[in-house]
Amino acid sequence: MIKEILKNITGRKRVIPFPEGFNISPEEAAKVISLQEMIDSIFSRSLRIRQVDAGSCNACEWECTALTNPVYDIQRFGIDFVASPRHADVLLVTGPVSRQMELALKKTYIATPEPRLVIACGDCTVDGGIYKGSYAVTNGVANVIPVDCYIPGCPPTPVQIIMGLHSLIDKMVRANTK
Amino acid sequence: MEKVLKRAINTKKHLNEVYLEVRKEDFRDACIYLYRNGESILRVMFAVDEREIDGMFRIYAVFSSPGKDEFTILYITLKEEELSFPTITNNIPAAHWYEREIRDMFGLIPEGHPDLRRLLFHDAFPANSHPLRKDWNITEDDLREWGEGTTVKEPYHFMEVEGEGIYEIPVGPVHAGIIEPGHFRFSAVGETIFFLEPRLFYTHKGTEKHFEQIGFHEGVQLAERVSGTSSFSHSSAYCMAVERMAGIEITENAKAVRTLLIELERLYNHIGDIGNICAGTGLAVGYAKGATIKERLMQLNERLTGSRYLRGINVIGGVRRDIFLQRDDILSSIDTVTKEYKEFMKLLLGTVSHVERLEDTGKLSKDIARKLGATGITARASGISDDIRKAHPHLVYDRLDFEIHTMSKGDVLARMMVRAEEAECSISLISSLLEKEYKGELVVDLKVIPAFSSALGYTETPRGSVFYWVMSDKDGKPLRVKLRSPSFCNWPVVPFAVHGNIVPDFPLCNKSFNLSYSGCDM
Repeated sequence: MIKEILKNITGRKRVIPFPEGFNISPEEAAKVISLQEMIDSIFSRSLRIRQVDAGSCNACEWECTALTNPVYDIQRFGIDFVASPRHADVLLVTGPVSRQMELALKKTYIATPEPRLVIACGDCTVDGGIYKGSYAVTNGVANVIPVDCYIPGCPPTPVQIIMGLHSLIDKMVRANTK
Repeated sequence: MEKVLKRAINTKKHLNEVYLEVRKEDFRDACIYLYRNGESILRVMFAVDEREIDGMFRIYAVFSSPGKDEFTILYITLKEEELSFPTITNNIPAAHWYEREIRDMFGLIPEGHPDLRRLLFHDAFPANSHPLRKDWNITEDDLREWGEGTTVKEPYHFMEVEGEGIYEIPVGPVHAGIIEPGHFRFSAVGETIFFLEPRLFYTHKGTEKHFEQIGFHEGVQLAERVSGTSSFSHSSAYCMAVERMAGIEITENAKAVRTLLIELERLYNHIGDIGNICAGTGLAVGYAKGATIKERLMQLNERLTGSRYLRGINVIGGVRRDIFLQRDDILSSIDTVTKEYKEFMKLLLGTVSHVERLEDTGKLSKDIARKLGATGITARASGISDDIRKAHPHLVYDRLDFEIHTMSKGDVLARMMVRAEEAECSISLISSLLEKEYKGELVVDLKVIPAFSSALGYTETPRGSVFYWVMSDKDGKPLRVKLRSPSFCNWPVVPFAVHGNIVPDFPLCNKSFNLSYSGCDM
């Protein structure tokens, strides 16, 4: 038992591939697994996300929840959703930002310690999506807080969300090596 | 019924909708008569700004009579300058949120209503501003200040509980888990919840007004995005309303596809919800199993429709894809799911620590459920036998053999068991749908939408009944789209169910109802 724990701490972490019987293409799986090394080096094996619903229809939330199910099991990459913005590296915002959520979103953003990243997840975070032009929405997250990365889709599938994280981290790596 | 009919000054009938106009002073009595003597259920109540037709506002109350596929729709006419109507809340408590909504959206005051605080809009929204009036507009400054949320324009007073040892716990709108936003204020004595006041409508997106602006065809996409996990049932109800209004009948084939997908939606929701209840009791293995079965169904959805949430299939006049072409895939997936699901339920019901947490937690009495007009799982777990699929058969439900599943206890366990039985029922409905062949084109062309016509559309979502009422203007464009999601009816009962429970059990109670914030907030 102790041997196993020590091996886990000191040894190179091995990523378990996606389970069989679910439709995830091998290319996607390989790309996702390559995410591991980046998270290990940049975020010391720990990337914490705080999800904020700013008026979404709830589909994006369920896709984020699906990321923690045994099929995608995002925790094995060292990524997890946390309960407080104070513990978060990343804010993942969904929804077109309804006016009545604007203040709460701003407060959550301020409560997140720097350096912080903001991911806008879903079509309506870009420009309001189908809700564009309604009196009660602000037509996109960027109108309220600065955004580092968009993940399009209505809703984006769990794999697309992982891919979005991948491209965000990839962007950071390239910015650092320049 | 006859008594009400006698008082009606105007009657018309459209399909199974009987419209009865009554005088303003008779409105309350007529509603009470239907509610008490006819034992009708108040399905939805709303106002319409019909000033462009004849300078009047109208208020509609839709009742459905038990044992009869018919809606009785009482309505009254209000002149532009008389901005009030008699409240029915004191006699029919189910109307209380509808009337407050009418006040917020139209500025029509329900006279005698016991709680005239704002419902939809928060403090920073301008006073005396009513978005669903046709002549409404709002300045940029007002919009900005509304978003900033710091200027109080009409204060909201939470109900206060006073007494020794009572303290308040405010929670939200941003919660710890990956869930939607809403504010809860608990008044607790020690660990026990004495009173809970939810403050919702954080995700209010102006959906009903937006429906009017984007047109009937684009409205399908909007209906799909009212409540994420009920996308298909919402869009089916919306399409049904528009189709009935335009007088078109969709083909057998399209009806069967819609029925099949509604049942698939119910199945993935119910299994996912049962898994989620495990998250509330800390049974990690149950949660993981439930989530895995749900994922299997979501991936089936994606293979069938291209969307994990069954979006993009419904159009006005029918459906875009013939799902029955993928019969084998559905059958084999449902087969695997059934096997896994049976094992899953065996595990849950065999775990004493889990079942004990669910028993007697979050009890909702039949009386409260009926008075406040609860719908769906919430109502059925408290002993109210109400299912729109049976009460008002639509699509191909009249030819399918199934029962309404009810429980009497009204606790979390009852809600879980109703879900479990309905999930099995959905599996058998899907199998029997797949046995037959259906004829007809996928889409029927929509002729011109007649001016000033209206109709209801409805179906049973995984959470309960959903209603859409649509009306066209002189050019056949939307004049009013009223949507009533099941969560709007069920949110008011939550405070009654959690009273007397401990605060740590609130997430469990909440998960057992599994209400949509977005659907309720519109």
